[in-house]
Amino acid sequence: MAFLEVTDLVKDFGGVVANNQVSFQINHGEIIGLIGPNGAGKTTLFNCIVGYHKPNSGKVIFKGKEITGFKPFMTNREGIGRTFQIMKVTAGMTVLENVMVGAFCRTDDRHFAKVEAAAILGFLGLESVKTYHLNELPIASQKKIGLARALATQPELLMLDEVASGLNPKETEEMVGLLKKIHQEKKITLFLIEHVMEVVMPISERVIVLDGGEKIAEGLPKDIVKNERVIKAYLGEKYAKGL
Amino acid sequence: MDTLKDAVDFRDFSKPEKVGFAIFSLFLLIFPWLGAGSFVKVVMIQFLLFSLFGMGWNTIGGYGGQVELGKAQYVGIGAYTVALMMVWWKIPFWVSMPIGVLIAIGYSFIIGYPLFRLKGHYFAIATICTSLVLQDIFINWKLVGAAKGIELPIHKHPDFLYMQFKSDTYYFYFIMALFYVAIFYMNWFRKSKLGYQLRMIKEDEEAAESLGIDARWCKIKAYSIASAFVAVGGGFLAVYNLYIDPYSVMDLDLSIKIALMSMLGGAGSMWGPIIGSAFLVPLDRFLGSWLGAQKGLIGIDFMIYSALIMIVSAYQPRGIWGIIEQFRKRGT
Repeated sequence: MAFLEVTDLVKDFGGVVANNQVSFQINHGEIIGLIGPNGAGKTTLFNCIVGYHKPNSGKVIFKGKEITGFKPFMTNREGIGRTFQIMKVTAGMTVLENVMVGAFCRTDDRHFAKVEAAAILGFLGLESVKTYHLNELPIASQKKIGLARALATQPELLMLDEVASGLNPKETEEMVGLLKKIHQEKKITLFLIEHVMEVVMPISERVIVLDGGEKIAEGLPKDIVKNERVIKAYLGEKYAKGL
Repeated sequence: MDTLKDAVDFRDFSKPEKVGFAIFSLFLLIFPWLGAGSFVKVVMIQFLLFSLFGMGWNTIGGYGGQVELGKAQYVGIGAYTVALMMVWWKIPFWVSMPIGVLIAIGYSFIIGYPLFRLKGHYFAIATICTSLVLQDIFINWKLVGAAKGIELPIHKHPDFLYMQFKSDTYYFYFIMALFYVAIFYMNWFRKSKLGYQLRMIKEDEEAAESLGIDARWCKIKAYSIASAFVAVGGGFLAVYNLYIDPYSVMDLDLSIKIALMSMLGGAGSMWGPIIGSAFLVPLDRFLGSWLGAQKGLIGIDFMIYSALIMIVSAYQPRGIWGIIEQFRKRGT
């Protein structure tokens, strides 16, 4: 049985079909990349799975349970965590408090939540910034805090929306390292939308490609870069030749 | 037990805050013996009462960031329950007040459920409307005294059961006790699961939902807590004034004052509502009785009052407490 199973998902924003008959499966413990040009419907697909959008038709099954149309907080309680492409930069809470909110998802005890949050910040190497506010930190740290917050809810599936966008090459490398660490040590299945090929190609076990709301390809990274439809729609000739 | 420990745990406050709070507490304790006139005593009682209202409002309005402008209906529910039960069935205050609070909580769930489908300005407008509707019902409802209101029977002798005293000192100590219960509750609340979740909702509701927070349900819970606080104050108002009518306990004016005081003092902070009330209650009273009484100056008290609010909100939206924190940050 597949860990996450999406069948014939359709999302239609009154004329614009953002997702058209998208189907795929994710197995437990995999790292899956989701790529495609801007406007391909990647974030919409995420939102449909997590529950920010209600799909017009189709099914989302997580761990054998149908979660189609669940609200975001419900899918989170089922064990799906997510991060956002653009994190709202706020000034009202410290980093530790932000992560504590995530930890409160699984506990009522404030002292326990604090310990838990501190442990996750330690895991991601963020202890030094725990008393800062989000607006006082560089974007790379903000992205990591988004990750920490989602991790604190103890997800089994973590869906990352462009976790490396806006990062410089060194930071990107660091982020890839973190993702690997999360995958290996916490045994969390990762599903990531990514534009940065340096992130998605080396770590993904499989890659799904969307274009114009439809799935145009799925397969191993090394096959995807040779796929003609993918090259035409997204990667460009240059990238394919470079490999 | 742990809950109690957390409620009295003020360790994470800064030293000036702790010292300030201790001095302030001492002042409150000896205040009735300082020989203040009756007018000052009334102002002090009003100050404590509005602090209580403000702290309640602060849960949903401050920590939750929802502009809630309908708290007066819960003052009314608290006050009317106490007054009516005393007039009809001679039920003591100590029984009727908790019942009033329970009714307020029940009512707040019924109102809150549809109300929190709305967001932002629409939510603010809707809260005003629900309060106005309830006020209108009470103005026209003969059974509960309609627009004339209700007078509570005055007992010949002071009576603890019905909270009737000749001297304001007793009322002062009673509202002070409620004020401290509220402070300890808020101290617990601000670090509780619900407190954190509300702050996250205020920061970024979308992200909050992704962290397993049922935003609407959290808001409804906080709204009920706020309503319970306010209903306690309403019950006090009934036995303190011994007369209530829909205009004095359910007016829009009252709702706005409750929200404004907290916003002025600093919404979403522990001391904000208290500071706001310490500024505005005396100002309101003194300006009203001093300037309002001068010929040709009627209404000028409102102008000063409003100007002050505009200045503070333009300079620092987080209120007086925000200004204090700004200076403290600069200092370090």
